[in-house]
Amino acid sequence: MADLGYIALFLALVASVYSVIAFIFGERNRHLAMLASAKNSLLVVCGLVSVAVAALAYSLVTHDFQIEYVASYTSRTLSLPYLISALWAGNDGSLLFWGWLLSIFAAVVVLQKRDMGKALVPYASSIIMVTEAFFLILLVWVANPFQRLPFVPADGNGLNPLLQNPGMLFHPPLLLAGYVGFTIPFAFAMAALLTRRLGDEWLITIRRWTLLTWLILGVGNILGAWWAYVELGWGGYWAWDPVESAGFMPWLVATAFLHSIMMQRRRGILKVWNMVLIILTFTLSIFGTFLTRSGILSSVHSFGDSTLGPFFSVFMGVALIGSLGLLFYRSGELQGETEMESLVSRESTFLLNNLLLVGAAFATFLGTIFPLISEAVRGVKINVGPPFFNQVNVPIFLATILLAGICTLIGWRQASVKNLLRHFLWPLVAAVILGIVLFIFGIREVYALIAFPVCGFVLLTILYEWWRGTRARHHVRNENYLKAFWGLVGSNRPRYGGYIVHIGIIILAIGIAASSLYSVDKEVSIKPGESIAINNYNLVYESKDSFQTAGKNVDTTTLSVYHQGKLIGQLTPEKYLQLSDQQGVTEVAIRSTLLEDLYVILLGFDADGTTAFKVLVNPMVSWIWIGGVIFMLGGLVAFWPERQKLPVQNNEGARENGRKVVDRKAQPAKNSTKSRIGSSRGVRRA
Amino acid sequence: MQWKILGVVLIALALLVTPVSADSAPTVTSIAEQLVCQCGCTQTLAACSEPECSTREAMKASIGQKLAQGQSESQILQSFVVQYGEKVLVTPPKSGFNLVAWILPFVAILAGAAIIFSAMRVWVKRGSKAQTTTTTGSEQMDEEYRRRVEQELKEFEERGFR
Repeated sequence: MADLGYIALFLALVASVYSVIAFIFGERNRHLAMLASAKNSLLVVCGLVSVAVAALAYSLVTHDFQIEYVASYTSRTLSLPYLISALWAGNDGSLLFWGWLLSIFAAVVVLQKRDMGKALVPYASSIIMVTEAFFLILLVWVANPFQRLPFVPADGNGLNPLLQNPGMLFHPPLLLAGYVGFTIPFAFAMAALLTRRLGDEWLITIRRWTLLTWLILGVGNILGAWWAYVELGWGGYWAWDPVESAGFMPWLVATAFLHSIMMQRRRGILKVWNMVLIILTFTLSIFGTFLTRSGILSSVHSFGDSTLGPFFSVFMGVALIGSLGLLFYRSGELQGETEMESLVSRESTFLLNNLLLVGAAFATFLGTIFPLISEAVRGVKINVGPPFFNQVNVPIFLATILLAGICTLIGWRQASVKNLLRHFLWPLVAAVILGIVLFIFGIREVYALIAFPVCGFVLLTILYEWWRGTRARHHVRNENYLKAFWGLVGSNRPRYGGYIVHIGIIILAIGIAASSLYSVDKEVSIKPGESIAINNYNLVYESKDSFQTAGKNVDTTTLSVYHQGKLIGQLTPEKYLQLSDQQGVTEVAIRSTLLEDLYVILLGFDADGTTAFKVLVNPMVSWIWIGGVIFMLGGLVAFWPERQKLPVQNNEGARENGRKVVDRKAQPAKNSTKSRIGSSRGVRRA
Repeated sequence: MQWKILGVVLIALALLVTPVSADSAPTVTSIAEQLVCQCGCTQTLAACSEPECSTREAMKASIGQKLAQGQSESQILQSFVVQYGEKVLVTPPKSGFNLVAWILPFVAILAGAAIIFSAMRVWVKRGSKAQTTTTTGSEQMDEEYRRRVEQELKEFEERGFR
């Protein structure tokens, strides 16, 4: 199996290099047969890498411990899902997984039936294959997952116990898919620059790719936060660990990109800026992969010693300099006669939103690499921890959220002052009242008094906007309100999906604000029979127990939880020692409600028979996960292909069809674009 | 009027972007939140819950002792810096070269805002010129607008807001 996998990787490398050359040569000389062979070799790459992945998966499942990777990350006691998840548990395997995802995405790109962007596909594919070849080179020569040991161990090392959580099955693959996915829009942007097709074509072609990738990366990040919260056992969900930041930065820049492409589509402006954003997104994705493998910064995510750092730095440097150079070379052709009607318009809120999102990404980047800068400049090792990121980013994020609210109610082109006042009045009044009520109820934290009213304001602006649209449809089309609302969302899914995403983010922000500002914790050492009082809770330490299971020694404790004097349940925080690597792990116990989480960590047992616990009450953490789910649903609504109108059969339909034809004649440019987008969106149907 | 509104919005954003800090009497936890646990967990001293942590208790006890001796927060933090180096602090102190990290993001955002603002002024000037020429346009232009309005109304009726 090991040989099969390695040979498949080697052949895939050959095929990918051939594919790059054939795509470029075929496109330059309009050699159709050559282009077809390039496409086929791209598909062959996908097939071969899939064979390699299957070979590694087979070796993992069948415990072929002679393969070093299998011996390092699995053991005989590991269950099937975690055996499979070991594919991305280690450095070499996760690189293979990266390459595999990219080859699948590449295959989708060339197999998609498209009306738009056909001319871009050859160059875009060649750029994707360059990236693929880079990963295959690493896999064949530097990080071979099929490396053999000179002997066959009886059992493997097993998977790090912290990774044995359902989060492991979803968080790494989603995050990697997010990183990998940005290669596609980047490749199309480069193809647009190379072919000088600098209009909206490339944007329309990659909008949904980018949206889906961005969504996957966002969900991957939120899942990572959830995993950290339930598994790592320090009571929080986001620590601004360098690698967390690395997953967050491309997401921020891609968010800016998704917004600013609307400006290019509607107003024909920001063409160069959009190119810069997608280049940055791609480079930051590679940076994330680089950080986990270079060992330059300490992080819970590092793969330990790895020699891949220099390779990634070179690749990143070449990608960044090459693409920016190409952009500079073509920038003259990207300039447009930009016009705006008014300083107060949706356009200006979009510009500010871009500034803030990229600003937040920059602040995060600076904080992440500042320890390196400090060491280089002053020779002093320092830490840049969560308080830095919170102090710098929280104001930026609050401003961004506020802008989302202003943007919702402000019109494109020109917003009249009277309209603005009319639309903003009620949400604003409600937000101010909310602030006053919070103050009366004893909220004194400045950030709380800003954050909650801002979130409330934005939420109300969106609901108000929905209400206006629903009411209009209700009046015009005589539909009941529910149907009118459903129709409203269906009428422009990208837009209303976007609003749902905004609502998700606001709910998430409320959860983050509440839990970070009002978390309470207590560390106590007690004996069975004694109790811990925290907020309205009283935890009585009932008993402790020790037992041995397959591969680990478990210490478990039982606490009865009383809320305002009433027994509401029991919690069993645990701690165990993994025998294979003598690693101690805590298993936290969480009692979660919409209002707050009671979070108990078993710290350890003291010599005098007492047990040390850390108990936290984290308000509204579940709002973060609910916000995450809404975020995902909204993203899917925006992403979902628009329904194609079926061929017409009845008279009413015929009339509508007739009107459409007339429309198309009346506004050829706009409608033909729309219909093309429609069909490129509906590709998956076919 | 538009300029005033923009001004108000910008000032509001600027206020939001100004970091706020709250002062209260130091406790072991409030100081532990500013220090990195030295057991290798890379977490703050307050957050570390490593089962086999080798440094947490000693560091916390030392903070407690120093507080009891009446040392101030900055004195205590300084004593840890002397013992472990600057890397014991969770965030770099806001002085000297470290100010680059603290200030640069906001400088960059303000510079970006200035660029956007001046660019928008140029664009709006261009846009308003274009508008004046169109409003002095002919009957034919009016007819074109009337047709477009009807068209858009029709589309609205069909699909709602866009």
